[in-house]
Amino acid sequence: MSIGSVSLDHVGRPDRALNADKLSADARREARGLFALLSPGLLLVFAVIIVPIGWLFWLSLFDESDQLSAANYARFFEQASYIKTFVTTFKVAFAVTGACVLFGYPLAYMLSQLPRRAAGVCLIFVILPFWTSVLVRTYAWLVILQRKGLVNTWLMDIGVIGQPLPLANNFAGVVIGMTHIMLPFLVLPLYASMKTIDVDCLRAGMNLGASPAATFRQIFFPLSLPGLASGVVIVFVLCLGFFVTPALMGGGKVIMWAMRMEQTTSLYSNWGAGAALGVVLLAVTLALLGLFRWLLGARATGVWSQR
Amino acid sequence: MLLSLAQSALPIGISGIEKRFGAVSILSDLSLDVAAGEFLTLLGPSGSGKTTLLMILAGFVRANAGSIKVGGEEIITMPPHKRNIGMVFQNYALFPHMNVFHNIAFPLKQRRVSTAETAERVERALDLVQLKGLGERRVDQLSGGQRQRVALARAIVFEPRIVLMDEPLSALDKSLREHMQIELRNLHRRLGMTTVYVTHDQREAITMSDRVAVMNAGRIEQIDQPEVLYARPKTKFVAGFIGESSFIPVECRNGGVWHEGNKLRMKDAMPSSGRHVMVVRPEKLRLIASEQTGDINALPATVGDVIYQGDSFVCYATLKDGRQVILRDYCRSDVLARLPAPGEPITLGIDAQDVVLVADQ
Amino acid sequence: MTKRLCIYGVAAAGLLATVAVPASAADTITVASWGGTYQEAQTKAFFDPTAKELGITIKQDTTNGLDDVRLQVTGNAVKWDITELGADECARGSKEGLFEKLDYNVIDKTGINPKLVHDDWVGISYTSVVLIYRTDVFGDKGPKTWADFWDVEKFPGRRALSGSQATETLSVAALAKGIPIDKVYPVDIDGALQSVDKVKGHIDAWWTSGAQAMQLVKDGEVDMASIWNGRAGTLKKQGAPVSFSFDQGVLTADCMVIPKGSKNRDIAMKALAKFVSPDLQANLPLYVDNGPANEKAFETGKIPPERIKDINSAPENVKKQVLQDPAFWRDTLVEATEKFNNLIQQ
Repeated sequence: MSIGSVSLDHVGRPDRALNADKLSADARREARGLFALLSPGLLLVFAVIIVPIGWLFWLSLFDESDQLSAANYARFFEQASYIKTFVTTFKVAFAVTGACVLFGYPLAYMLSQLPRRAAGVCLIFVILPFWTSVLVRTYAWLVILQRKGLVNTWLMDIGVIGQPLPLANNFAGVVIGMTHIMLPFLVLPLYASMKTIDVDCLRAGMNLGASPAATFRQIFFPLSLPGLASGVVIVFVLCLGFFVTPALMGGGKVIMWAMRMEQTTSLYSNWGAGAALGVVLLAVTLALLGLFRWLLGARATGVWSQR
Repeated sequence: MLLSLAQSALPIGISGIEKRFGAVSILSDLSLDVAAGEFLTLLGPSGSGKTTLLMILAGFVRANAGSIKVGGEEIITMPPHKRNIGMVFQNYALFPHMNVFHNIAFPLKQRRVSTAETAERVERALDLVQLKGLGERRVDQLSGGQRQRVALARAIVFEPRIVLMDEPLSALDKSLREHMQIELRNLHRRLGMTTVYVTHDQREAITMSDRVAVMNAGRIEQIDQPEVLYARPKTKFVAGFIGESSFIPVECRNGGVWHEGNKLRMKDAMPSSGRHVMVVRPEKLRLIASEQTGDINALPATVGDVIYQGDSFVCYATLKDGRQVILRDYCRSDVLARLPAPGEPITLGIDAQDVVLVADQ
Repeated sequence: MTKRLCIYGVAAAGLLATVAVPASAADTITVASWGGTYQEAQTKAFFDPTAKELGITIKQDTTNGLDDVRLQVTGNAVKWDITELGADECARGSKEGLFEKLDYNVIDKTGINPKLVHDDWVGISYTSVVLIYRTDVFGDKGPKTWADFWDVEKFPGRRALSGSQATETLSVAALAKGIPIDKVYPVDIDGALQSVDKVKGHIDAWWTSGAQAMQLVKDGEVDMASIWNGRAGTLKKQGAPVSFSFDQGVLTADCMVIPKGSKNRDIAMKALAKFVSPDLQANLPLYVDNGPANEKAFETGKIPPERIKDINSAPENVKKQVLQDPAFWRDTLVEATEKFNNLIQQ
């Protein structure tokens, strides 16, 4: 009892811990200072991200006569074309991502193996298309791919085909055009991650008896996966919101989500109609990113180290 | 019970290796024989070509000319994965996406060893490097010393005939490095694999090796047992690179070797001609009375500074020609009793058998 | 509405221009139209002569359509005194109450089709949807009617229709079923959709802008298409091997309105009266293929007789065409468009 009362005596006596008050006040002041430094950034995020998305969501809840309603969302189920658009959007995104991986991986691999100087020159060629407008590049593809375009004319001239191939104004055209535009978004992060793979790890693989092919399969490829994953996520998400290329290359048959947003907004004379589509796309994109994260997280924490 | 490599250890015969990068010659006409089961160290400053030689041995770098024979078989054009040579990399090169077990099992998997045998051999290898029970750890959960051991286990688990090590201890702190030096040495004694070890740390080379090849500018300066290398360096570079040395110029004339008008007493054969320097190790010098007696050479000098280091002291002294030499001795009472003071004239003595002359390039 | 995509840039430039030149006196009005060659023609035909006659300044801007007007009116920031719209947009905007009432004591409506004369909007010009085909493929034996266009056996080849203008495509689909031009309206939407369904497997492109329709025909990507007559005329002038006529064309009107809350309503009214007057209306076909909304324009003698036959709203040509009914689409547009989108999407 006496010990308890003694120790209780000391509780709450600030002079017991030397300068404890001053030190905690100092810590609080520092925290406030750091927060103050952070606040312009936070404010910006709030102003350019949180507020517009909140506003978008708010708008989507009102119908044409400004009444609170779920009509903008109910439309997705009432009209089959929205589901179709949704499916088309994902089909295109998957196809383009797949094509980007198919072309981008070997390209990034080649770049990563080239001497620094040559790689630098080649990288410029990868990035070069970024400096041209998407519109120009898409029109260029139209010129190349259409019925009387370069590819078909040439193939028919040399007699490979008798009938022009349907390369433009359809799904294939959209995928080709978008793959070209998306490729750098896959190649750049992939290249960066391949560059960080330790050459000694590959040497070790061969030294330990793995053939070059086995070394690639068992060591290089798994180590390049984080870069590949980030490239895939970037490309896939960008594809979901694409407008110009599908609008021009799809021949009106490949309607993607962003095109539907534009159509819907003007058709219903109501921002909410388009906003609802935006909200749905955002939600689906976030869900997908979550899924990706979960899959990759599972990998990093042990799936691969199981025997 | 343990991995046994001694029976299969093979000698390495390296001859006439040339390596150029563009116009720059890295290795020129390099030849070297490593006996079966020997621990040979390539020692040299950075840029001396020792790592390049190791890379050529492992097959990662293609030589411009030369031959490498392992147990009589030519391997100079064999791809790395067929050479059956274990290697420990400077940064360990562990596979970050595999756990410890899979890292060590990797070479066995490539050789299609059965699952049961793989498990057993990995277990034994882990035991050997004192990492029992850490098989499921991720590589990034290991300390530097543990990674080093995993790399070692991985390099020997498939019972290679030869093991190469590229500065494997350079990333460890001093005490761990010294500990691992002894462990590596013991492991080599137990397993008996032919080992080629690369380092720029002369102390490490001397501690661990059966023989040390000192490399300089793409050539081997001298290859000898550590004690010979230290006591009888053949070149000024070797003398300077291994241990502390003062160089004192001497004259060779009239069938004798002269320093400051005194003929040096020495046991080694005298060089016939050319400019030479005497290699003087700090611990071979001692304070003597002023005359030359018996087989001891006397060098008059003036004390510059005396630095007390606990177990020993270091005395910086200046010879008559202004050249500085260093003397080190242990702090025995009798030595301490006549410790000279700065500015005091003294006489330094060196035994005739400790006189080593090298050509002055 | 349809020109929306291609005129964003022009719109932006227009916005800058309005900001740069501060509004001065009350006798300055701002008129917005679609930009491009059409607005240039309107400037010469309507705006410049009106400004001169009334002694006012007419500033110009470009519009993206009804959304812009709605934004200005509901946001209480009306900066336009007169703006052009598609007739179906006028009908919808009228229903939403976005426009000022027009004073037909000031504006003389004689000669304008009564279907385009309303309390708060009035027709200004016509565009036709026509059938164009490539003569290098068909010679002069190409598809002449929409029934021909639908007949893939008799006229094999690649086809394009408008995917963005459901109203126009449904109108031609009704014609393709053999419905006579005076019976097309009110459109039997489900019947027209069935008609679209029949041909959709043979449509290689559903165009979404006039420029795209032009490019498809010009590059030979398709052999026949529905197209706006202005674009068709341009193709022909450029020497493309194409042929088209006003037979079974679909006449769609553009209209002008005074946005509710215009600060210069009275001057705007006078200017609008000038724009629709036969005299200025007759100027329009001298610069562009869009026909005047006021048929009295053809009686002014200003239009050369050989030009008259090429103008879609010339009495001779009007007889061959269906006049799209804005009031009908006002009430059915959303439903019909959704169903149409649903149908054409792959």
